[in-house]
Amino acid sequence: MDFLMLLISTGLVSGAAYGLIAMGFALVYKSTGVVNFAQGEIVMLTAYIAFSIANGLHLSFVPLVLVTIPISMLIGLVLERIFIRPMLGEPVFAIVMATVGLAVILRSATIMIWGSEPFNFTAGMSTAVIKLGGIPFYPAQLYLMAALGMVVLAIWLFLRFSRYGIAMRAVAANETAALLTGVSVNQVHALAWMLSSGIAAVAGLLFAANFKLAPDIWFQGLKSFPAVILGGMDSVTGAALGGLIIGLIENLSQGYIGEGMREIAGFIVIILVLMIRPYGLFGSRDIERV
Amino acid sequence: MRTSIITCAAALLLSTVAYAAEPGVTDTEIKVGDVNIMTGPAAFVGKGFALGSKIAAAEINAAGGINGRKLTVITEDDGYIPARSFQALTKLIEVDGIFALNGTSGTANVLAMMPLITEHNLPTVVTEAPAKLVYTPVRPSVFTFGANYEDAFYAQLKYIHDNMEGKDAVYGILRQDDDFGKDVEAGFNRAVKEFGGKAAVRVAFKKGTTNFSAEMAQMKQAGVTVLANGGIFAGAANILAEARKLDMKIQSAGVWSEGIPASAALSAPAGYDFMVADYVSLVGPANDKFKVLAKKFVTDDELSNISRYTYVAYIGLKTLAEGMRQCGKELTRTCTIEKLRGLKNFETGGLSAPISFDNPLQLSGTAVGVYQFDTKANAFKALSEFKQY
Repeated sequence: MDFLMLLISTGLVSGAAYGLIAMGFALVYKSTGVVNFAQGEIVMLTAYIAFSIANGLHLSFVPLVLVTIPISMLIGLVLERIFIRPMLGEPVFAIVMATVGLAVILRSATIMIWGSEPFNFTAGMSTAVIKLGGIPFYPAQLYLMAALGMVVLAIWLFLRFSRYGIAMRAVAANETAALLTGVSVNQVHALAWMLSSGIAAVAGLLFAANFKLAPDIWFQGLKSFPAVILGGMDSVTGAALGGLIIGLIENLSQGYIGEGMREIAGFIVIILVLMIRPYGLFGSRDIERV
Repeated sequence: MRTSIITCAAALLLSTVAYAAEPGVTDTEIKVGDVNIMTGPAAFVGKGFALGSKIAAAEINAAGGINGRKLTVITEDDGYIPARSFQALTKLIEVDGIFALNGTSGTANVLAMMPLITEHNLPTVVTEAPAKLVYTPVRPSVFTFGANYEDAFYAQLKYIHDNMEGKDAVYGILRQDDDFGKDVEAGFNRAVKEFGGKAAVRVAFKKGTTNFSAEMAQMKQAGVTVLANGGIFAGAANILAEARKLDMKIQSAGVWSEGIPASAALSAPAGYDFMVADYVSLVGPANDKFKVLAKKFVTDDELSNISRYTYVAYIGLKTLAEGMRQCGKELTRTCTIEKLRGLKNFETGGLSAPISFDNPLQLSGTAVGVYQFDTKANAFKALSEFKQY
């Protein structure tokens, strides 16, 4: 029983990281119809920025998050203006390839600036072990799960009730109709990139606090992709749930089957989902895949 | 008489032509190549190595070079990708015209370069990846310095068995699912079989894994007290962090890459006095002496980057230089290989066991010492002398 609970608890922790990263994917896809293959690299970059801020200003966790998120959103805006905006009107495939190029640029730039060595990064959090119901956690793990819950709630409220959130949904439903009703599609696209970069900052910071800060964090973007497929490419909250499910599947399969199952379990899920329910658990049916 | 003079002149001419054709050697310079990991997550390996090459070359050149010729080291980056190692060595041979090779990157990388090394009869000292596949089968121009992971893990587990945990130890192993991981497990198997210990859990993981929560839960459930930690860098540190969270009382044996300061700093917060075994010295008078020497040739910043990879590069280049020196003025690859093959008890200033390549495998430096990281002192201490296992 203890073993099962340990696997479930740590599966939820890694699932929360997948969920946050997957939400960034879904948010951009929902608003722009583009799969941003640089999402993992934005997670990596924003984690390094948080690291520099933490070292420079000696901030504790909450102020660090509050400073890092706006900076990351600004970076998202800049990336959208430089790399994506000029591509508007081009085939979706070309834009997707631009994000692939962006990913390579961000990876190289990060190593050029911060080097390739991994770092310990507590992000201003305690490292004392906390037991909840007899199950041990590091504070960073609890923060990660709490962050997923808070971000899901915030994004749901934003999409449901805010003017920009409704505009975003309108663009997702029918971009031409939204344009005709006066919605600034360009602004919506920029906002989607900003929000997804803000979420990436939370994911990157907390992932690094849990598993060290290293340039290979970008790979978590790829590992989170099954979560987006499972939840539905255009379902932001579905992607979060997909992340938790993938995290659990990975940990339970590694714990009970073993031998590297953790690494392939998520991708087995992708194949099964694509075969049975191609639009994901919460996605819309008419998704055009690239 | 006339015929003899003509014959002598022809022989002299031919030998001069042969000598002049020797790549990478001029009257004033000898070029040595280094293919290494200068970019990517493992770049600190190449950077530490390049530092060792720089110190060795500077020391040799300050003492007048090799029979009057200055030693120049040319480094090419392979990013730890075997295909790029092949391209890098091709460039070093075809464009730079190197005479010999010292840096050879990882195991798969040196194996990828082996056809070129063999084809060009390139005197090569392998110090970074002394795997069995490098010296079996024996390639005439390849000399290997260093122990394998099997011996390194066996040495640590033997030390733990003899001095710490004893008969009741429960052994567990976490290792990569590749040739390197298999070498680690071979040492584990040998130890467990010899000690009659209980091998409770064996887990293989994919290279690049960061989350070891399920694996360590398996270790905890099996009651593991001695862990063969086959993770490297952040991976090894994450394994120990999970052990700490689960409040596991373990003695951990690790890979020698954990002996470098950057890796030790990552693992230190977990609070385990983990072990490593290495074929080069990590602490002691030899290392102190080396740092004094290094200070003459490198900056203070570079000095802080000295690691085991610096020592292996230094030893490799000094060994190669000794082979060249013994050839005198008429330096050829064939002569260098012959002299290296005859090398016996070449002293490395205590940084490793003396080097002798006069054996069928052309293999030396296989003795390892065991070290333990003291988390309180934030430093390694030597637990045993260099010893053959």
